[in-house]
Amino acid sequence: MSTLRADGFPETEIRLRAREGAAAAFPQGTDYGAALFGGGAAQRASADPLGLARLVPPVFMPQRLEKLVDLGREPLYSDVELATDIGGLRSPLPVYLSALGSTRAASAEVGEAASRQAGQLGLPMVLGENVVAHGGYGRTDGAPERSMLRRLRVYSEMLPEGLGGVAVQQSTEDADAEVWNLVYSDPSALHLLESGRLAFELKVGQGAKPGLGGMTLVDPSTAARLHQHYPLEPVHGTGGFLRSSSPGTYTEEILRQQIRLMRNNFPRAQVWVKLPPARDVAAAVALAWQAGADAVTVDGAEGGTGWAPNAFLNHVGLPLGECLLRIGRGGGALLASGRMWEGARCVKALALGCRAVGLGRAALLAADEDRADGLKRFVQCLALEMRLLISALGRYAPRDLKSEDVWLPHNLWSPAAPIGAAGEAERLP
Amino acid sequence: MTTIHFASGASLAAALPDLRTHLSSPRTRSAIAVQQAILQAAREYLTGEGFTELLTPIMGPVTDPGARGSKQVDIDYYGHRYKLMTSAILYKQASLLSFGKIFCIAPNVRLEPLETANTSRHLTEFHQLDVEIAGASREDAMEVAQGVVTHAVHRALDKAADHLDELGRSRDALAVWLDDPFVRITHRETVRRLHELGHAQDPETEIDWAGERLLSEGEKRPFFVTDYPKGSRGFYDRESAIEPGTLSNFDLIAPEGYGELGSGSEREFDYRRMVARMRETGENPAKYGWYLELVRGGIPSSSGFGIGVQRLTRYVAGLDAVWQTSMFPKLPGVVSA
Repeated sequence: MSTLRADGFPETEIRLRAREGAAAAFPQGTDYGAALFGGGAAQRASADPLGLARLVPPVFMPQRLEKLVDLGREPLYSDVELATDIGGLRSPLPVYLSALGSTRAASAEVGEAASRQAGQLGLPMVLGENVVAHGGYGRTDGAPERSMLRRLRVYSEMLPEGLGGVAVQQSTEDADAEVWNLVYSDPSALHLLESGRLAFELKVGQGAKPGLGGMTLVDPSTAARLHQHYPLEPVHGTGGFLRSSSPGTYTEEILRQQIRLMRNNFPRAQVWVKLPPARDVAAAVALAWQAGADAVTVDGAEGGTGWAPNAFLNHVGLPLGECLLRIGRGGGALLASGRMWEGARCVKALALGCRAVGLGRAALLAADEDRADGLKRFVQCLALEMRLLISALGRYAPRDLKSEDVWLPHNLWSPAAPIGAAGEAERLP
Repeated sequence: MTTIHFASGASLAAALPDLRTHLSSPRTRSAIAVQQAILQAAREYLTGEGFTELLTPIMGPVTDPGARGSKQVDIDYYGHRYKLMTSAILYKQASLLSFGKIFCIAPNVRLEPLETANTSRHLTEFHQLDVEIAGASREDAMEVAQGVVTHAVHRALDKAADHLDELGRSRDALAVWLDDPFVRITHRETVRRLHELGHAQDPETEIDWAGERLLSEGEKRPFFVTDYPKGSRGFYDRESAIEPGTLSNFDLIAPEGYGELGSGSEREFDYRRMVARMRETGENPAKYGWYLELVRGGIPSSSGFGIGVQRLTRYVAGLDAVWQTSMFPKLPGVVSA
């Protein structure tokens, strides 16, 4: 095992899943009949409504009856069909690999292992901002380890036909490197483009530090290379420099026109938009869909591979669940990331209106646990858990989930009317 | 026909012949002769109208951000990232501080998406006849564009008739419209027509290649498409004051299926509006340092346009593909001389 750590994150549980696969969805077999279960997890949940919520199966299940009629036998959890369209990309389950960032934790071997396994699974993958700025594109220099091209190649090597795809992020700072133009005109991405499996994701903000741009810690030699392009501050003496990107300025008109320009310039690519957990997230999501985004991602105020000030991690940004409650169900394709690692949180997010959830740190830890199969086993466990939970609710596909499947303490329901609720009788109490 | 295979397994069919065959071909000689008549006519017309010809830079810290997914060429300029020009637009606007009416015939480089290798009308290296007029409206610019194209075709018919015949180009197809003004239709009307023809054109974007060909094939004379929606062009195309969300711009389209010859617009020159438009087009204003500094200090209002020299030559000469008008053509993704 490597030295990769994720303090405050359920690292032990994730590593267990990466080692044991589906077995890790259950208590240790040796505890059966000898221990009482159920404590602990709820106490550890944060103030995030997603953490406090419970999934609440009903007694009466008309959709189970439909499935029973369809199958001619009683449905089981294994009858849940998880395959999902994620912003124009097909996935075997409502899960994609979030951008892993450009820091050392996500680079080289671990990032590559995660990318390779995501490709083998056919999970869509987001390639993060700054990868080109830090690792280069890799076209004329032999695709070194941290380059965009290497990530693309590694992911695509064993990608099953008709599944997966890559969403390439670009932030305001990345505009200088023309990442999208580069990928759109590159022979290496042609097979993804031609098979409809290339998306571009406009990164409007940072999940872990809403209102700020990307931040990483770089060593002095990297700092010397980047000084022309980024502000650098020696926050850790001369040994480590804080490299900051500008967050980029957005108004409603700026966001609308940027999305329209993406559609104009890249007609064969899917258009994704990534939003921070901002207080006006519902309005921004609605605007993005209206302007033609194929998917909108809300990144919860959680950690990541980048560097976020403690004040932001502890005090800034809406909890992810609150974002989902404000957005509501019934709009376009909504994706969510932030502390996604086990089935219950994922299914709650799906029930609250998400099309799919993104794995970030969990995927990195799982790939770190076993470079060849850790993420694959982890996803196997997650898929089983999702099937169990969704079937328990009397549903047999993620799209059938509804907000009534989630219970929240009443004081946590948002007073704001959900913007996506048109045509669906699911006004929250 | 050559098929190019990429490491990724993808392939691209391109119709570039062997260089010796291309250079010694009578077709190439005739195409260049037609081009020479066009260039001479353009200079004659514009200088006659009081325009000053400028030699614009071919590299700089920033260039036209362009559109439709083409990539700029970065060069290492003593450790600074410079760009080869994708168009002269930024320098044209700046040059109006010296002269009120300018033009240039300048090389542009755009690494276009691979899919454009087969459109018959994209080169990654091409020349543009660029015009800019201080204090002018879009209509003024369209008048000049019509004037220069009409004059160029007149001269080609006068001076390169033998070459047009050699190429099998119908001279009547060119002569038929020489006395008529170019028709103008709005983008909205264009979209409506395309929908009627069964073409699924997105009303909020550029007219796509197939749609443009469809429109062009149905016409016998060049025409303008005006008023493109915001979100389809660069930050320098000015938004209409009368109809927000619409740009005061135009494309000049050749008939007979030859498609777009060039684009123009009334230009944005107000600093505050320009910065907002830069953000709306996804640009980082920081990299436009020298340009924004000039704009902040005040530059003249203007209108102007750029016409692709090779595209105009292809249309006048009646050639199958734009690469046939270049001695050393460069197609997207294809390695050549």
